Amino acid sequence: MKRSKTMEFGVGLFMVAGILGLVFLGLRVSGLTLSAPTQSFQLEANFANIGSLKPRARVTMAGVTVGRVEAIELDTQWFDARVVLSLDSELEGQLSKDSIASILTAGLLGEQYIGLSVGGDPEMLEDGDTIRDTQSALVLEELIQQFVSNMASN
Amino acid sequence: MTDAPFIEIEDLYFFRGDHEIFRGVNMTIPRGKVTAIMGPSGTGKTTLLKLIGGQLTPESGRILIDGQDVHRLSRKALFTLRKRMGMLFQSGALFSDLDVFENVAFPLRVHTDLPDTMVRDLVLLKLQAVGLRGARHLTPAELSGGMARRVALARAVALDPELILYDEPFVGQDPISMGVLVQLIKRLNQALQLTSVVVSHDIKETLSIADYLYLIADGQVIAHGTPQTLDINQDPRVSQFIHGEPDGPVPFHYPAEAFYRDILGETPVTQKD
Amino acid sequence: MQSKFSNSAARITRLGRRGCDLMEALGRAGVFLFQSAIGVPSREGWRLWLHQMHFVGVLSLAIVLVSGLFIGMVLALQGYTILVDFGAEQALGQMVALSLLRELAPVVAALLFAGRAGSALTAEIGLMKATEQLTSMEMIGVDPLRRVVAPRLWAGFVSLPILTVGFSVVGIWGGYLVGVEWLGVFEGSYWSNMQANVAFISDIGNGMIKSAVFALVVTWIAVFQGYDLVPTSEGISRATTRTVVYSSLAVLGLDFVLTAMMFGGL
Repeated sequence: MKRSKTMEFGVGLFMVAGILGLVFLGLRVSGLTLSAPTQSFQLEANFANIGSLKPRARVTMAGVTVGRVEAIELDTQWFDARVVLSLDSELEGQLSKDSIASILTAGLLGEQYIGLSVGGDPEMLEDGDTIRDTQSALVLEELIQQFVSNMASN
Repeated sequence: MTDAPFIEIEDLYFFRGDHEIFRGVNMTIPRGKVTAIMGPSGTGKTTLLKLIGGQLTPESGRILIDGQDVHRLSRKALFTLRKRMGMLFQSGALFSDLDVFENVAFPLRVHTDLPDTMVRDLVLLKLQAVGLRGARHLTPAELSGGMARRVALARAVALDPELILYDEPFVGQDPISMGVLVQLIKRLNQALQLTSVVVSHDIKETLSIADYLYLIADGQVIAHGTPQTLDINQDPRVSQFIHGEPDGPVPFHYPAEAFYRDILGETPVTQKD
Repeated sequence: MQSKFSNSAARITRLGRRGCDLMEALGRAGVFLFQSAIGVPSREGWRLWLHQMHFVGVLSLAIVLVSGLFIGMVLALQGYTILVDFGAEQALGQMVALSLLRELAPVVAALLFAGRAGSALTAEIGLMKATEQLTSMEMIGVDPLRRVVAPRLWAGFVSLPILTVGFSVVGIWGGYLVGVEWLGVFEGSYWSNMQANVAFISDIGNGMIKSAVFALVVTWIAVFQGYDLVPTSEGISRATTRTVVYSSLAVLGLDFVLTAMMFGGL
């Protein structure tokens, strides 16, 4: 009987360890935060070119991560890219109407993310609003092309 | 009612692959008696027990146990019927992960809701009957072959069945444990009013306990009767078996080419299909 | 001419019979799985399941964790030498974590599990069959599928995903040991790069789905081979080998299919 008790204890420990392991993977490895999904609001922004921006990419402000890209789709009216951003709800009503969203690159070959910077308009962006002022991604090939043609014309 | 036969086997046919095991076997096994089924090795005696237990299904014919056709029952009804049977296997077939006590307690635990104390009393009673009450904490691996078979017997009678099937109970036993088993089978049968079916080819022991005998060979019953009538049976096949003569209708030689042709190395005529 | 024709005809007949046998075995295995997995466990069933969890899960823990540690360490070492050429050694954490979670942990844990627990299950059930324990259980009126097979099937199904989690965790820690403690990758970037690039649902979740599929297949093969074998000592040793061979092949083949379904479409 005693042996069976230690065995049961062992199995219990085994299963608890499994669950703890999964929690570790969730929190430490994939960086899940437990309270994130409920407290956010959404903004939209249209870009002429998003480069290689991916869903779930970071959205930063002054280098601080404040949200992430929720969805990317083609806007068939203007044939540009509509990006849905999901931001911390603390910022709801804090960003001015003329805020700028630009697609930036982390390092030379790194992943692309969105940087926000505020303007001076007294009116603020609310949930579901669209950011007017956007800067498309820098496409390296276009940049090189410009550089080369500038050199040629000089 | 009591003199109605407990098991009736009617016109049983069973094949394994293309090989015919039984070709029209008929038997009636009386209630409360020890009936022995004997025959040379390889005649499917164990198969017959498996057919009675409903683990195999015959090609045709039927087996009635207490009026119920074993192979027409639903799975559930078959398992209910099996609670009324015990079977003693050639190897004992004790559960190797349980000790002796738990092995005997197993049928009680799965089929009854008896409190632990009563299970304990019953198990000790059964173990006492086979003389192994002191061995209750041993594991099956620690038992000798004869002891294992006795424990298996205690387990087979744990639920007080009406029928016990013994599969070769005497094979590979030393004379002492053979004697013990003979005694036990006899005693249990008398004490519990059991119907017993013993499958065996050990003539002496079987004749000493059987009330009635069936002799099978070549897929058929070749003789049946009480031990006394079979002893004086003139059929050469019967007397060869009963008296253990090495040669007779069952030949000593496995079928082969004529000996001298084989020895002289003539190329045998191979079969072509 | 005649004999040549009849020879190839015989060969085709044999092939056909082989095919029929295979189909029949598959069907038997399917019915077997259905009959053993269906049904509500009793209180006794829970106890048996717990017992098998110990046998199948806890006792496989050591080999799985040790292997996980070494694989994580090797991944870090190999990854570092490649990444450092691009000046991208900060991405080491991401590389170790993704390789483990998506691919190596489910597959290697399943292979180890097949070798450690699967073969033991086959041998154990096979031995019970050879010593007539299964038959005698049936004669006592207890269904061995429910009593013997079902607890083992469920224990395997639950254990392997847990073992896979353990493998990943230990592997990531092993990668940390080599990458950060030994090779000097900055600790913050090891973890942050990992967190930025590992997604819970698509990486960890898919890895777990893979692991659950492997668990079912490996345990199924193991218990079926045990239950269906020829009850002799030769039969048992052959079935044990078959368990390891079949389940390894099934794991690797299914891994390709699942990977294509999960990550191939991206």
